[in-house]
Amino acid sequence: MSHDKQTSDARQFAEESSSLVRITAAPLTWAGHFVLCYGAAAVWCVKWPGPIGQMAPLRIALGLATVLALAIIAWLGWRSWQQWDLLDDYDYEHEMGVGEDRHEFLGHAAFLLSIVSFVGVIFTSLPLVFAATCR
Amino acid sequence: MFSPAGIDALATLNLFWVMLAGAVVIWFALNGLFLYVTRIHVGKMSRRLAEAVIIGGGILFPLVVLSTLLIYSLPMMGHQRAPDDGLRVSITAERWWWRVEYWPDGADAPVVSANELRLPVDQRSELLLTAGEVIHSFWIPALGGKTDMFPGRITRMTLAPSQTGTFRGQCAEFCGLSHALMAIPAVVMEPDAFADWLADQAQPADLSAPGRAVFLREGCGACHTIRGTPAAGRVGPDLTHLGSRTALAAGILPMTADALRAWISNPEAVKPGAEMPAYDHLNDTDMTALAAYLMGLE
Amino acid sequence: MTSDADRGTYPPTEEMLAQPVPAEVAKAQADRLRKVWAQPPGWTYWSAVNNTEVGVWYCLTATFFMLLAGILALLMRVQLAVPENDFLDASRYNQFFTMHGSAMMFLFAVPIFEAISILILPSLLGARDMPFPRLSAYGFWCFVIGGIFVMGSLLFDAAPDAGWFMYPPLATEYGGIGADIWLLGLSFIEVASIAAAVELIVGVLKCRPPGMRVNIMPLYAWYVLVVGGMIVFAFPPLIAGDFLFEMQRSFDWPFFDPERGGDPMLWQHLFWIFGHPEVYIIFLPSIAVTAMIVPTAARRPIVGYSWIVLSAVGTGFLSFGLWVHHMFATGLPAISLGFFSAASEAVVLPTGIQIFAFVATLMVGRVRMIHPMLWIAGALAIFVAGGLTGVMVAIVPFDWQVHDTYFIVAHLHYTIFGGMLFPVIGGIYYFYPIIAKKQLSERLGKWAFWLMFTGFNVTFLPMHLTGMQGMPRRVFTYPGDLGWNWLNMISTVGAFVMAAGILVFVYDLLRPKGKQPDPPRNPWDAGTLEWTHNVPGEAWGIRSIPYVDTRYPLWQQSKMQERIDAGRYYLPDAEEGKRETLVTSVIDAHPLHVQRVTGPAWITIWAAIFTGGAFIFPTFHWYPPAIVSAVLAVACIIYWNWTSTAVIPEKDSKDAGLGLRLPLYVSGPDAVGWWAVWITMLADATAFSSLVFAVFFYWTASAQFPPDGAQFANGGLVAAGTGLVAGSWALTAWARRDAGRGAMAALAAAMLAACAGGAVLFLALWTTDMDPTEHVYPAMMWALVIWVIVHLIAGVVLQGYCLAGLAFGKITRRHDAPLWNSLLFWHFLCLTVLVTGAMIAIAPRLMT
Repeated sequence: MSHDKQTSDARQFAEESSSLVRITAAPLTWAGHFVLCYGAAAVWCVKWPGPIGQMAPLRIALGLATVLALAIIAWLGWRSWQQWDLLDDYDYEHEMGVGEDRHEFLGHAAFLLSIVSFVGVIFTSLPLVFAATCR
Repeated sequence: MFSPAGIDALATLNLFWVMLAGAVVIWFALNGLFLYVTRIHVGKMSRRLAEAVIIGGGILFPLVVLSTLLIYSLPMMGHQRAPDDGLRVSITAERWWWRVEYWPDGADAPVVSANELRLPVDQRSELLLTAGEVIHSFWIPALGGKTDMFPGRITRMTLAPSQTGTFRGQCAEFCGLSHALMAIPAVVMEPDAFADWLADQAQPADLSAPGRAVFLREGCGACHTIRGTPAAGRVGPDLTHLGSRTALAAGILPMTADALRAWISNPEAVKPGAEMPAYDHLNDTDMTALAAYLMGLE
Repeated sequence: MTSDADRGTYPPTEEMLAQPVPAEVAKAQADRLRKVWAQPPGWTYWSAVNNTEVGVWYCLTATFFMLLAGILALLMRVQLAVPENDFLDASRYNQFFTMHGSAMMFLFAVPIFEAISILILPSLLGARDMPFPRLSAYGFWCFVIGGIFVMGSLLFDAAPDAGWFMYPPLATEYGGIGADIWLLGLSFIEVASIAAAVELIVGVLKCRPPGMRVNIMPLYAWYVLVVGGMIVFAFPPLIAGDFLFEMQRSFDWPFFDPERGGDPMLWQHLFWIFGHPEVYIIFLPSIAVTAMIVPTAARRPIVGYSWIVLSAVGTGFLSFGLWVHHMFATGLPAISLGFFSAASEAVVLPTGIQIFAFVATLMVGRVRMIHPMLWIAGALAIFVAGGLTGVMVAIVPFDWQVHDTYFIVAHLHYTIFGGMLFPVIGGIYYFYPIIAKKQLSERLGKWAFWLMFTGFNVTFLPMHLTGMQGMPRRVFTYPGDLGWNWLNMISTVGAFVMAAGILVFVYDLLRPKGKQPDPPRNPWDAGTLEWTHNVPGEAWGIRSIPYVDTRYPLWQQSKMQERIDAGRYYLPDAEEGKRETLVTSVIDAHPLHVQRVTGPAWITIWAAIFTGGAFIFPTFHWYPPAIVSAVLAVACIIYWNWTSTAVIPEKDSKDAGLGLRLPLYVSGPDAVGWWAVWITMLADATAFSSLVFAVFFYWTASAQFPPDGAQFANGGLVAAGTGLVAGSWALTAWARRDAGRGAMAALAAAMLAACAGGAVLFLALWTTDMDPTEHVYPAMMWALVIWVIVHLIAGVVLQGYCLAGLAFGKITRRHDAPLWNSLLFWHFLCLTVLVTGAMIAIAPRLMT
């Protein structure tokens, strides 16, 4: 037992680990972007406070981070859309206890999470445009 | 905050009315829908409609409304904090009263007062806030939002009053035993009147009354300052122009001789935990003289 | 190792399931099961550990604390009914509002979720019990002891009085032992909460019935998973904060003292990083209950299962990006506030989606307004109002006005009553037949509902106005000339109406129902597994563990009920006289092994008592008894683990029914214990990360961290210490591979290396003049080292446990679960020590 970890659990993990990661990957990207924005702004405002003009480097850097985060989430959304594979059978219920339904369900859930994360990243970037001041 | 007397308070109130109207509509729509499907139209509706409800109600509608709200409200923060041509005032929150120091343009020493904030109308003044021992929060609802006050840190806010008058403020962050008894009147004046008042406040007090001797004899000067006398304590509020203020004991008592006597003879009864000792050993003559002297400091 | 080939057939064919079980066989099996799962008789009943008993005690205790906290609220309302009232003095009022908030949060809202979940999760999943029954019992007894200690302080006028948020410096510098009671008593309960969360997560991941893949598990289970995960990441920052806080209070280490480089803002961050997810931690379980009731009422499967899963997971994530909205008034830069304002609005999306999915389900179903739906309707009306004011207060300028006023009091009670209390009560009406095998009165239920609903709105609706008129929170009195008088009077009257409603409900809950006839098994015609329960009740949980391949097996799998009852499915018997449940794989619920679960025990109570001592004695600065208690607690826990976990079975595998042969002993990732350690260590790593965050926080928040002329830890000693610990880790890893005679030597060497490593790390600071009371920088360095040393002690105890296990034959090459689990602990420990080494030896040198 102990010397052979190729049990069914481990194999299933290998099979579906990509889906499991994908279901949290989009919100994790949101979280990473959020922490980056908050952390960078906090350090910036303590170490280099100043008038609005001096916010430009921070805004540009975080703007680029936002574009990157959106691109990652879009790519994740595309991957999970393919895994969901709605257009082959128009199944969005996945209510049977079979492997295919489980596979498509994880894709579907990951796809929806990508949408919410995408919106989350856009919201997070709004202050960069509309409230970019250290006051 | 329903009778705003400041630019920021008015902007916030208008924002509130808009949000309230939206909220009422949404509340009735959602609860109406629930009532409709559980009581009135019980029976199978189309699956497609149900899914449209999830996507429309859960994603599209909030997306539009919330983006609009954010884009409208985010710039307000910067506006409400940007300093302008008005004066600077430092306010230090103590347990449970306010140290107020005015810094007119070019001044190298402040004009010190306490437990009352006066501001010129139609100017944006900047407040530099800090605290003595614990966290407090400065808030004049009629003029604008609140900002916390921390020991060892300066936070900033601005206020732009648009009407003259006296407006009540109160500490908004729980600060211990007498948190409830820590108010501050804010008096908004015409700029000329304000300038005169500030010039008066900058003067030392020169009042020779019998109570002056009582004040000095009882050692009040160990904690309180009355400029122009030997009393120069920094522990308690500056009393140089006490009689000119609108209220006593951080907005808790009216500025009357009776209230002053009640406060001096037993501060604990008015404000639990107050650090000022009780002077209940003073005889009636001394007490009357002391109260008259303090009331006379205008 | 039993490979798949010789396990037998899986999944079962319809033919196998259709084969009848002979009646006399079924009866003999049922008798054996009944005997094995029987409750201990007489006063030994209190040694029971089953989820059905512990869950009920847990629920009732949490309800009891809720009633106490509610009485405090009523007393406060009496004080505020009229201006300048002297019914309560300032000191007592401050204690009451502090304890009202603390008790409602820590002694009711979070525990009731765990209590209800412990009670019903196994039946939702067709499991016999939770995976670690004694852990539930231990958590429960910790909760009872801690709760009585914290609430009891009110009787001695010594209760915490600095608010449930305990902001320093107020809470560090003032007020008797109240703050210590709060910090230590509630930390103790938080530890129990994390233990319960670990157990619930493992329960959902590993104790589902065969065939119940992740796409068909009950939505309640999804929510338990998400909420458990949130507890694992949200509570540890608070525990780390408590640790720093208590070090300041007991030993004057200046973490929050601005004069010595500390910063009160750090506590606010740590507290709200816990505090905001916490709001969703209490909200999501109620949505979970709703997600069970709504399909039953609509008589059809939920519409938008994937959407609801998205909501649960999405809310779980987003809720960690909201904490600064409790700190909008702290003077942080506008851009920082903007991020949190935006995230606070973004969380509206997943929250709204769930509500619309429920409405959609009701639209397409054939709705019956069963009584629990009344509470759901009330919850919707209240929660939506609270959510809409939530959208308002997430807008920063508006929050600057209403923050810390009665508007917020109104808002939070709208969200909590609508998002927690009403659905929970609806859930109790719904699940009561399973719990008590009786039904609650619908007539009393209507009375309770309308009294509570009316009373609630009368109390809290006017408070919006009170707050907007300028009344701050947490004031024990107010002047009579500000126009607040009548609003406060209305709120007080409403509070008593609401209290009457709660009394009616509690009366209905507790009144004797002996004469009531047995209710039908499935009174609401629901579709999920918990309604296969037995009436009258049986202690076995479920007669046989079914093969499930639909979301609503009672609706979608014919003959489910009769086959369960006949013992047609898995584990229908207890031929070895052991309590057993089935462990399956994480994603597809493939049967993996048969888990022997523990039975009644007193040791868990002793362990809880001594753990309580270890937390409670330091409140009074009685350190020797605290240390003795801690040692005894560890001894009890070791004894309990040694005697009842990873016991080597009498045979390698057993017939699990339906031709399936499953092992009785597994180790590593197949075993539930390994998963529990993994999740616990995630929580531990989160607490440690909070300490690391604190170092960077001080660096960003102050111009001088470390201060000028600060000393640094001795680099050579830090390198040596971390090297020794890494060596100890490597030896432990080797011992796990070997698991024989060589492993014993390796473990002995590993223990020495770990002890030496800890001592050297200690010396790395000791040999400098870094005085932790002088400045926050040395204090922070010492805090990290103390954290590591405490963990090293635990690591050495685990190594010793494995060494003893090998010596006494509890651990062999085939039966090596403790080695796997200890090594997992050591992976985390090694990483912690490496990071600590970098934080004390390298980071400060770079920061100056």
